[in-house]
Amino acid sequence: MSLARRKFLQLLGLLGAPTVFLLVFFFGPLLIMLVYSFLTPGLYGGVDWIFSHLNYGRILGWADTRYEKFDPVYIAIFLRSLRLAALTVLASLLVCYPAAFWISRMRPGLRDFAIFLVTLPFFVSLIVRLFAWVLILRPTGFLNQGLMGLGLTDAPIEFLYTDFAVILGMTYVFIPFMFLPLYGSIEKLDMAQIEASSDLGATRLQTFRKVILPATMPGIVGGSVITFIPALGNFIVPSVLGGAKVLMIGNLIEQQFLSARNWPFGSALAMLVMTAVLVLLIAQFRLAGREERS
Amino acid sequence: MKKLHLAATTALILAPLAASAETLSLYNWGDYINPAVLEAFTEETGIEVTLDSYGSNEEMLAKIQAGATGYDIVFPSVHMHDIMFQLGLLAKTHIGKAPGFENIDPQFVRAKTDPDAEYCLPYAWGNVGIVYNKALAGDIKSWADFFALGAEGKKITLLDDLRETIGIGLIVNGNSVNSTDPDEVEAAADYIIDHIAGVTAFTYDSVPQVISGDVAAAHWYVGANLYVSENPDTIGYIIPEEGATMYQEDICVLESAPNKEAAQKFLEFYLKPEIAAMNVEQQMNGTPNKPAQALIPEAIAANETIYPSQDVMDKLQIFEDLGRDLQLYNSEWTRIKTAQ
Repeated sequence: MSLARRKFLQLLGLLGAPTVFLLVFFFGPLLIMLVYSFLTPGLYGGVDWIFSHLNYGRILGWADTRYEKFDPVYIAIFLRSLRLAALTVLASLLVCYPAAFWISRMRPGLRDFAIFLVTLPFFVSLIVRLFAWVLILRPTGFLNQGLMGLGLTDAPIEFLYTDFAVILGMTYVFIPFMFLPLYGSIEKLDMAQIEASSDLGATRLQTFRKVILPATMPGIVGGSVITFIPALGNFIVPSVLGGAKVLMIGNLIEQQFLSARNWPFGSALAMLVMTAVLVLLIAQFRLAGREERS
Repeated sequence: MKKLHLAATTALILAPLAASAETLSLYNWGDYINPAVLEAFTEETGIEVTLDSYGSNEEMLAKIQAGATGYDIVFPSVHMHDIMFQLGLLAKTHIGKAPGFENIDPQFVRAKTDPDAEYCLPYAWGNVGIVYNKALAGDIKSWADFFALGAEGKKITLLDDLRETIGIGLIVNGNSVNSTDPDEVEAAADYIIDHIAGVTAFTYDSVPQVISGDVAAAHWYVGANLYVSENPDTIGYIIPEEGATMYQEDICVLESAPNKEAAQKFLEFYLKPEIAAMNVEQQMNGTPNKPAQALIPEAIAANETIYPSQDVMDKLQIFEDLGRDLQLYNSEWTRIKTAQ
């Protein structure tokens, strides 16, 4: 067997399984979605194999038939989802960054226990946890009773069924996603560098900006990306805590596939989300590549 | 039609019988059959019953269409019964010719595709009205009163269901809930949007909030009577004066049923008045079984919101399948959901 051939086989062995995995579980569904987004809805769900570009026309501005009409509301919902997802990332970053720092400085036994606690919510059904938040946030709920008991407010504050509740709920759900990558990069932080920085006269803020922040940037970016993507497509949190009134793109897609029986339009909306996610991922790779080079 | 929006699918295995391996698999709405009925069936026939649940007609259809097998019986609403017939998913049972079918009030054999009940057995029916907190909402009687609460700054909720909620607008405007006129559908959506101020959420989980007083009144099902009977001083249920929607589910056997014989036995079993009455006792909804009416508890039989007078019955509208025209409702629904 020639060297070239052996190398080829080795490479095939190494890359074969992940390639098949990607083809079957990533490109396959994506391709089905792409094809469906250019078809006509079947009467009772599914699709009719008749080409149509109107599913995109409804979103982007050129559809005007009895059933397919352009409405700027779809773009508005998409933009709102982007905003809510971005705020969720920001909120979880603000919670997780100090927490990861603090936990990484604990003694080992306690540290492992703390990390276990962060992942503990995964052991309970998401729906149950979200309904617990309903009990906390509703007007006669624990939070309002607490605030009124302390005399901080006279009347109950509207927490439930607001943007705030949705961002709070998503932050709560995605904290472990943000925490783990952040913890990974903060734990590896070289204390000697921080000491050197302050020895050389840097203020605490300067040390943070010039030493700590760049060193933990991979964790920040990684955590942000894997929080942002599921937050963007989430439909359970807005449905339970937003009262289905804070409509996100995920709710709209769910509606198309179930109650509205319009799979092609749902597919077109899903493609919109996929495009946004892909643009984000490409941007992240570009950014990461540039950082490595510099 | 039932309350479990995010249907936790539960498998309930009742009364395991060591001797018999025969089973009947039901696929039903969440909390939509009295477990005692299933126990009685197992006792009589020796057939074990398993029960899975779904949260909407569409969810059930999507699963069956996607090839879910192993279910013998489903409980579609009348319009979904029609759809499933057209898709060839239902099996013939000739239940309309079975002894005991004379118990069924013929006005409930509603499905257009099944006028002689060759396929399915009418199961239960009810209406969709308003459950309200007596202290907060006062003595409300109509949709106008309901939305007036919102205008006063009190909180109300609507169902997270496009046809039910747009249906209110259609009823108030005096149109059919099966309208396919784009202008009528748009006007109905406009009615809801004009009154959106007090609507705090679109949700199925509203009864606990009405009881606790977080919400003054909620668009909900006749099944609320179950909670009214537990909290008679706190909450009430009404069918609004302008009219309301009604629903009916039928018991259907699937073409793909692994045990058609047991399914047939279940349909025949459910024709018995005492069984239908046993179900009503726990479900607090309507039964199409005429002799069963005499067997149900007086409190339920005399409740005008469960068994309304003919005048009120005439104002109840049932959904039909809209085919393609469902898309008219789809886009208006998005408009309602994004109006603040």
